[in-house]
Amino acid sequence: MNLLFQQVLNGLTLGSIYGLVALGLTLVYGILHIPNFAHGALYMVGAFASYFFMTDLGLHYWIAMLLSGGVVAVLAMLCERLVFHPLRNAPPIHDKIAAIGILLFLEAVVQMFWGSDFRRMASPFGGILRFDGLIIPEQRLLIIVGAFTLMLALHLFLRKTMLGSTIIAMAQSREGAFLVGIDANRVAMLTFAISGMLAAFAATLYAPINLVYPAMGHLVIMKAFVIIVLGGMGSIPGAIVGAMILGFAESFGGFYLSSDYKDIIAFSLLVVILSFRPTGLFAKGAH
Amino acid sequence: MKNLKALAVATALALGIGGPALAADKTLHIGFTGPLSGGAALYGENTLSGLRMAVEDVNEAGGLKIGEDTYQVELISLDDKYSPSQAATNAKRLVKESGVEAVFVPHTGGVFALQDFNVDDDFLIMAYTSVPSVTAQKNPLTVRIPPEFSNYVDSFSDYALEHYGKRLGVAGATHEYAKIWTDMITEAWKEKGGEIVASNPMDYNKSTDFYTGVSRVIAEGPDVMFVGGASEPTGLVIQQARQLGFGGGFIVMDQAKLDEIAEVTGGLDMLEGAVGVVPLSEYDSEVAQAFVDRYKQAHGKVPGSEAAYNYLAFHVLAKAMQLAGSTEPKAVRAKMGEAIAALEPKYNLYAIQGITEDGGFITPTTMAVVEDGKIVRKRVEE
Repeated sequence: MNLLFQQVLNGLTLGSIYGLVALGLTLVYGILHIPNFAHGALYMVGAFASYFFMTDLGLHYWIAMLLSGGVVAVLAMLCERLVFHPLRNAPPIHDKIAAIGILLFLEAVVQMFWGSDFRRMASPFGGILRFDGLIIPEQRLLIIVGAFTLMLALHLFLRKTMLGSTIIAMAQSREGAFLVGIDANRVAMLTFAISGMLAAFAATLYAPINLVYPAMGHLVIMKAFVIIVLGGMGSIPGAIVGAMILGFAESFGGFYLSSDYKDIIAFSLLVVILSFRPTGLFAKGAH
Repeated sequence: MKNLKALAVATALALGIGGPALAADKTLHIGFTGPLSGGAALYGENTLSGLRMAVEDVNEAGGLKIGEDTYQVELISLDDKYSPSQAATNAKRLVKESGVEAVFVPHTGGVFALQDFNVDDDFLIMAYTSVPSVTAQKNPLTVRIPPEFSNYVDSFSDYALEHYGKRLGVAGATHEYAKIWTDMITEAWKEKGGEIVASNPMDYNKSTDFYTGVSRVIAEGPDVMFVGGASEPTGLVIQQARQLGFGGGFIVMDQAKLDEIAEVTGGLDMLEGAVGVVPLSEYDSEVAQAFVDRYKQAHGKVPGSEAAYNYLAFHVLAKAMQLAGSTEPKAVRAKMGEAIAALEPKYNLYAIQGITEDGGFITPTTMAVVEDGKIVRKRVEE
């Protein structure tokens, strides 16, 4: 029974991280229709920023996380202003190429300053909780609690505030949003800022149980793309449910079958779900 | 524009007069293809750092005298992102564009890819990989730098069997190199009367988390775990195994180094009972210590074996070219044995003794274990 709970916990941990990253990706896609390949690089920059604040400036974990969220939010807004905004009337392929350009650029810059070494970022939550044989490292618990808190906060922001409503309005209908006087530029920047901040928070939550290095975003972004396809491009509940499906498929598949097969299981699920629901679990508009 | 030209001339003059370049009239290009970006970038850069140090040695001494000519050595490094096909493209480029006659490659897949055409294109492969089949193919222009890992399999298994028990959980990795290791240790372990209770290699390139994989192995109650791959992810696997309550020993594949793993696990405590290769920092010879100090000054960290072995190998290559009086690959390869014998002791960090007929450097097998929180060298019976 313990082993089962252990896997539930693993699935939740993985799903939480994937979810936070996928949320940012799906928000940007839902509103601006840009598949932001550079999102994984923002995640990586978030981890390095936290690492810098904690190790070099000696700040506390939570403060580092907040600062890193701010840094990456600004960086994401800059990407929007300097790269995606000027391309708004260009064919869609230009956005994609630009996003890959940003990805390569950010990775090269980080590698230039920090080198390609693997780094460890210790959090103050290094302890391990034990309940009757069930082993829960504190940081993993923190990831789950943190991710759900952030998801709830995002939900409240989008539903209960005027600013958040503009994002939803824009996702539902661009023309409609313009008609009621919503400033498209502001919404675009806001969306990028939120997506960057979520990526930075996810990276800071996850980094203490993983390694920090310039290529750390590759895997996570790949999974995040699978998740938003699975959940429905642009759908917020889709991103969360998709992330949990993938997280649980990896943890249960990896444990009860074999690590070799866990990707096969995850991707077979993708194929099966897409054959029944070609637009993903939550088609757009189901906000 | 005029200014630019003047600047260029001035720079050229300054370089020409200031450097030792006056003594050497020709440039000798040596090639390198390895991962310089992506997940394995650190590994590639470490390898390259050793080669660069060796090139510095040679150039600072006034260049390399081969036959009548003196050469300045220039290392040309290309990024292959650990991909064999890119390594092959790079090697072709190095040979065609820069006329290199030796290419350093630090990964097995790349070596195999280059072996397809290195004899026809006439260049020497300096292979940094301990996979035995690299030399077993009898490619006449391949030199294997580190010792074959088959030497380790027996001694590591014996130690773990004797000290921890018969139940082995395999939690190695899934890259080509690790697969060959896994097969060999599985066979050796069974032969010695042990039992494989779980086999669940981790995919370091595709997994974001190893917790699930590790808990699967531990659920079978092993006495010893076989782990390995790059040092840092291996450290994560070991850390998570300890968190999940594993109390046995570890057999660590030679790619991972105990001192680098300890950086990730935050000390040697979690590594108690691990058996692996001796990290260079634990060599007590003066030669090795001098290299460690010099490297620390230049790079601010302790060198791993990829820097040290490639440093050594470059000096062997340079010596062989001198002895051959030419850079012609076949002639150079033929002089490798003599070159090792004639190598200045300060370059021979691992006390290598010679080269086998099929091109492997002969290095004494070493073994280190973590006992009472310290890395201890153990004698290995050949």
